[in-house]
Amino acid sequence: MSAVLEVEGLVKHFPIAGQRAVVQAVNGVGFSVARGETLALVGESGSGKTTVGRCVLGLIPRTQGAVRFHGAMIDKRHNIRSRDLRGKLQLVFQEPAESLDPRMRIGETIGEPLRQLDMAQVDRVKRVREVARRVGLSEASLEQFPAELSAGQQQRVGIARAIVTSPELIVLDEPTSALDPTARAEIIDLLIRLQKELDTAYLFISHDLSTVRYVSHRVAVMYLGMIVEQGSAAEIFSHPRHPYSIGLLSSVLLPNPKLKREVRVDLKGEIPSPIDLPNGCYLAGRCPFVDEQCRAAMPPADQVGDGHFVHCYHHRKALSGQVALDYFDDFQAKAEQVLGAGRR
Amino acid sequence: MNPQPAQSEALRGGEQPVSAGQVLRIHGLSVSYPVYGQEPVKAIRDLDLGVRPGEILGLVGESGSGKTTLARAIMGLLARPGRIDGGAVNFDGRDMRALSEEALRAIRGRDIAMIIPNPRGELDPLLTVGRQIAAVARAHLNITRAKAEELALEMLRAVQIPDPKRRFNAYPHELSGGMAQRVVIAMSLVCSPKFIISDDATSGLDVTVQAQVLDLLRALVRDKRTAMMFITRDIGITAHFCDRVAVIYAGEIVELAPTGRFFENPMHPYSVMLLAAFAHNPKLREKWHKPLASLIRSQGKACEYATRCVHVEPQCNATHPELRELEPGHFVRCFVPVLRPA
Repeated sequence: MSAVLEVEGLVKHFPIAGQRAVVQAVNGVGFSVARGETLALVGESGSGKTTVGRCVLGLIPRTQGAVRFHGAMIDKRHNIRSRDLRGKLQLVFQEPAESLDPRMRIGETIGEPLRQLDMAQVDRVKRVREVARRVGLSEASLEQFPAELSAGQQQRVGIARAIVTSPELIVLDEPTSALDPTARAEIIDLLIRLQKELDTAYLFISHDLSTVRYVSHRVAVMYLGMIVEQGSAAEIFSHPRHPYSIGLLSSVLLPNPKLKREVRVDLKGEIPSPIDLPNGCYLAGRCPFVDEQCRAAMPPADQVGDGHFVHCYHHRKALSGQVALDYFDDFQAKAEQVLGAGRR
Repeated sequence: MNPQPAQSEALRGGEQPVSAGQVLRIHGLSVSYPVYGQEPVKAIRDLDLGVRPGEILGLVGESGSGKTTLARAIMGLLARPGRIDGGAVNFDGRDMRALSEEALRAIRGRDIAMIIPNPRGELDPLLTVGRQIAAVARAHLNITRAKAEELALEMLRAVQIPDPKRRFNAYPHELSGGMAQRVVIAMSLVCSPKFIISDDATSGLDVTVQAQVLDLLRALVRDKRTAMMFITRDIGITAHFCDRVAVIYAGEIVELAPTGRFFENPMHPYSVMLLAAFAHNPKLREKWHKPLASLIRSQGKACEYATRCVHVEPQCNATHPELRELEPGHFVRCFVPVLRPA
């Protein structure tokens, strides 16, 4: 597998007007995404996941580090807006309604990126029809305006607009967060199918862990601008090592009251401010395993499996005595039992 | 927030949608919004529902299902041009629809409280949070300022805000989203209301904070035997937080059951589809899921759900299904409910 996207030591600090302090949004992040692969960046608000997405596309300059697309550096001259990469990188937004021009017909919206590539009108119309069919939009809806569609349909338009140029990498920034659960399920199924057909690399930014488990091959858990744990989706969801990953996973409320949701790591309080980060581990103030070592210095990456890294001194302690976190598997099995049994 | 043993009478089975002993009783409520040049849109249609003291009733629905309209109609805060076409809202023995605006204002905030999302939007940016909570208490409880501020501090403690004495003098912008949501909860509970409506109140919070806030809210509601209607589009929350679950579609309750039974034996095809959305299993999805082309909207059809249902029979398009009790306390509005072998 050749990497479509490689990110190394990415740092992004935002200045604050009139102050010497900066917002340390991203603090040394590294990962790669291959063809046909989905890497999920998960984390809570303020963890820096959206900022990483914007740096990857070159929408904002980075403070330090490297971002390479097929080995070539993304920078001021080569980015999602530049001529050489136009159409090869794409972005899907969280709010479908706000990301579509309300006065543009759906067909025009989907064809807009092709106009930027100077494709002839005839070819454009043909391509838009083909893409619309692919994402499940009717021919009639191409003549409609965004306000006439449901949120789920609007997001199909957002996805159609992204794949119309056959991009190699799509950054999906919370593409399902604004949707109702049933629409969310439809969009997720669509994204998975499209990836199989087109072999696109996805950088999937989300705080919705139940969705992430289903769509992603690999997962990077972010906390205060750092990837605290990274590994295959199967590993992260069944054997999370970092206390924050464990806490995050055990906070998910799946629709089954009988599932034992034993809180294995009780994270106290809230995320500290990214302006004033602690010296040692960023989780020290909330973590039940904290000691002097954690407060003194940031723990280095510890490799615990194939491609599985954890930034924690005590991940063995966090893991000890715990069986695999089978919450999601249990839920799946029970759901199949209840929903599979019903006569339709 | 593990499931707790049954604490409310409602869980002993056989609870009707509306019955004596409930502090809030909604009877045959209908609400519509006029549309220029067209038939009015029926947002709520002949709805029966009630909540007992100490009970948390979860109301689950997707965008456009009428859940917020219902909350506003209960509070007497329906935005124009919405109109109540019929039915009764009875709160603690009083007919809410017959009360004057002045009388309603005395009830809102004191006996009925509402928690909405976006906590910062609900707080006055120019007043310290302690003073805001105290102001609510003074407006309703006829107590001195000193007493009210004492009460406010007590509430900040009750919602587990760290260092409450210092936070009493903090302005809203100095608080994180989770803290601000706790302040809003403190404000809604300061007069010990008998009934609380929460409209998607935790949806803006991060998951680790949401879990903390829900645990806290549940403990407070149980402790004071407050009745609560918890409106959400996240059916996952209701599983762990509510005593009964009501599913609303196109302004109607389509299923109502004690939480345990609802998740064990969901019978309305829409409830099953909602659950299948979380299961991430292609086979289940294929079996139960049918996409929604436009917005959920009452179409005046016999069964409102027929257009989206995976199993439609002739009678579904001919007659309007009533809410039927298919097992004790478990109500379903469907001619061909989903049945499972016992």
